[in-house]
Amino acid sequence: MAEPLTIAARRGVRPRLRGLVRRIAGAVFVLWAVATVTFFAVRLIPGDPAEAILGGPGSQTSPEALAAVRAEYGLDQPLLVQYLQQLGRLATGDLGRSYALNMDVGPLVLSQLGGTLVLAVLSLAVAWLIALVLATWSTGRGRLAAQIGSGLEIVAAALPHFWLATTLIVVFSIWAGVLPPISTVDARGLVLPVVTLAIPLAGFLGQVMRESLTTALESPFVLSARARGESDRGVLWRHALRHAALPAISLSGWAFGSLISGAVVVETIFARPGLGRTLLNAVTVRDVPVVVGVVMVVALAYILMTIVTDLASALADPRPTEHGNGALS
Amino acid sequence: MRLDASVFWTESNNATAGFPRTAFVKRDRRMPRPGIVPSSPRSATFAVLAGAVALGLALTGCTTATPDRSDEPAAGGTLTYASGDAEPTCLDPHVGGNYPQALVSSQFLESLVSLDTDGTIIPWLADSWSVSDDGLSWEFTLKDDVSFTDGTPLDAAAVQANIAHLQDPETGSSTGYLALAKVTGTEAVSDSVVRFTLAQPDSALLESLAQPWLAIESPTALTRSQDENCAAPVGTGPFIVDSWVKQNAITLMRNEDYTSPPADAEHAGPAYLESIVWRFIPDSASRYAALQAGEVDVIDNAQPDTISQAESSDTIVHLDAPRPGASNRIELNSGKAPFNDAAVREAFIRSANVDDAVASLFQGSAERSYSALSSVEPLGVSEPDLFDYDPDAAAELLDGAGWSQKDSDGYRVKDGVRLTVVFPVSTNQSIPAEQSLFEQIQATAKETGFDVQLTKLDLSSWYTALGSNAYDAVSAPYTKIGPDVLRILFHADGITPAPSGYFANHAQVNNPELDSLLTEADQTNDADQRASLYEDAQELILNGYYILPLYDQQNHFLLGSAVEGARALPTVSTPAFYDAWLNR
Repeated sequence: MAEPLTIAARRGVRPRLRGLVRRIAGAVFVLWAVATVTFFAVRLIPGDPAEAILGGPGSQTSPEALAAVRAEYGLDQPLLVQYLQQLGRLATGDLGRSYALNMDVGPLVLSQLGGTLVLAVLSLAVAWLIALVLATWSTGRGRLAAQIGSGLEIVAAALPHFWLATTLIVVFSIWAGVLPPISTVDARGLVLPVVTLAIPLAGFLGQVMRESLTTALESPFVLSARARGESDRGVLWRHALRHAALPAISLSGWAFGSLISGAVVVETIFARPGLGRTLLNAVTVRDVPVVVGVVMVVALAYILMTIVTDLASALADPRPTEHGNGALS
Repeated sequence: MRLDASVFWTESNNATAGFPRTAFVKRDRRMPRPGIVPSSPRSATFAVLAGAVALGLALTGCTTATPDRSDEPAAGGTLTYASGDAEPTCLDPHVGGNYPQALVSSQFLESLVSLDTDGTIIPWLADSWSVSDDGLSWEFTLKDDVSFTDGTPLDAAAVQANIAHLQDPETGSSTGYLALAKVTGTEAVSDSVVRFTLAQPDSALLESLAQPWLAIESPTALTRSQDENCAAPVGTGPFIVDSWVKQNAITLMRNEDYTSPPADAEHAGPAYLESIVWRFIPDSASRYAALQAGEVDVIDNAQPDTISQAESSDTIVHLDAPRPGASNRIELNSGKAPFNDAAVREAFIRSANVDDAVASLFQGSAERSYSALSSVEPLGVSEPDLFDYDPDAAAELLDGAGWSQKDSDGYRVKDGVRLTVVFPVSTNQSIPAEQSLFEQIQATAKETGFDVQLTKLDLSSWYTALGSNAYDAVSAPYTKIGPDVLRILFHADGITPAPSGYFANHAQVNNPELDSLLTEADQTNDADQRASLYEDAQELILNGYYILPLYDQQNHFLLGSAVEGARALPTVSTPAFYDAWLNR
């Protein structure tokens, strides 16, 4: 640290506090917008949720049962009243009660959150690993390596989850018989879903990583490092990679969101419990409280993840700041 | 490998059996199972699969069968069942009452009576029954020494509590509630005899009571809150609900004190299996892959493509168990133009090439139906001649009905109005092959000049389209035991939408002659008279061109090689694992 800590802290307090307030206000606005859009999007589709609650395929609903269900869930109220009630409940942290699952949304979402988080975090880690390996291997090795790396990344990024999932099942479950195609009590069942989510993401991450790595390797500081006698690998690992990681870190916030949406497909195909599958089921039966609840939790996770990636960017950014010569130096 | 009839299988290739013109073939769900041939060496399968992967993910079997296996049922083991149906929201089939509930509740709940494969009512929790001459009073004598798995004895009061539970609006029963519409009261004649009092005679009462939605539960358990009862209903069945982790699995444990198998069961005493893990795998390809990989033992909702792959596998067995009640059919809305004209209805039916489409899309897994009823219904009437594909006759009929002009797009017009058929399709209830079939019908009907407008809708929007009469054609499944389903689907009373907008007479058939036939059939207790009345009723329906029958309501199970002795209950074709054991 170049300056005494107290001065730096004092100087930063006001803008930081203001920044924090702005951030929280922004987050609340985003959550309100998400709740509103989701509620109306699901409810404005023509159809009666009471029918959906009672009417599974082949069931025959009686008017008495429907009336009871409408009264129980407040579906006989005007839509605006239902919306305001929903908002009021959300404001107090009550996610309401599922139309379809006979349970409160809060505990339901909590019970399913773990599975999706494990899947998303592992996939993100694996995607980073693949992208790093590919980018560092293919950079600074001439045009052929760069083209191979770039080609692999484009192909990976373009692979749809459902296709990848089915292919992996055929190859590793049916053909080789080494990995289960559905979730299991042990970790074996996690491998294929994680790989399914990680491969396309690794393609995206790898592309930005290699591009910024190439730019970094052409920068003057690399020349000076070389002049100090650093080896090629040393320059790459100790200097250039940090520059290259920045855009990929920022991208990870977005990636987390895309992993959650990928989880809808992957959890359904691999029969894994999780938020994605919960969301899909809820949309199918028009279970508004669950749809809103899941979307709110995902939005919250997305906001938190964005904050984390911002902090991580600040930490990893090797450029000098007013507080010192790089946050980690 | 034993070949006696005590193991119930239907090999899929039976589905190609001949179909006489008017007589009805009843498909036997208890065919003996041929021996299992050891499969090809793994390396050959490897090569085949390498090609399959390259070609685009065709799934083929690859398990080496063990040639020396036991013939005697072995107790123990866990069977894993993978359901493609929606996960029930409540395991008590009294609440609501749909097929996904029936699938799993059949494992732990039992009904008063059951059916054998001939469609005859046989004893289950009730040993015997009698009906008064006026048909208004039924007495059921219950089996001795049966207890629910919470220790509560099965007695007349228990049955009374169940009827009361089904008829209580708080329960929210739909299927069971409607089935008991004529029951006005119950009475305990003695500890083991219960009497039902009816407002009108009901020839379908026993068939209704055989349905899993009217299963008998412990009256002690029913006094719990609905949430508790939904999570773990208590019955008399061979298995007990042990735990239910939502969106994952239901675990069922063996009932060690089981004493009440139905009259057609193969053994007495507790079930062979120690437990059943009941999983939900919504994706059809994953479900089949899990079966091939040996992660699960039985799958339901097998789709035509996986059924045809399973047929070429040596180790996977196909159990074809069509559901009772109505056949799958397209109902033509005779309540408004253009289908209020019988000639236009006939023209539509003659212009739809169903046979070729079913053959190619279902790959032999579905047999064409020409009946309003499922082929497992003994009283079903089949009229293949009425449903010939004949575009020339269709064109002639339309000319005669005033739809002689064609517009620039090739569609028929009359008084400036195009011959349009609005056809909402429920994506929840029509499998992909069926949705493709409708597209084929759309294409062939276009050649004659029909503008068929298919719209794919989720269940709730689909109900709304029906309730607001915004359809000309629709396909809706209806599962119920016995021909009384005809009254629900074709009696004029079923046209009036309930306040909910739901009604079952989608064809809007309004024919007083038919109504009186159906009412009379519903109230007669003379079997021959009942059969003849239902035959007349079906002739009226089929000759009125109100429906285009397609095939039975499809219900296919695939079983791994280790599973022996599993069958589909002849009631509503849910799987039964009481006699099942694992040969591995």
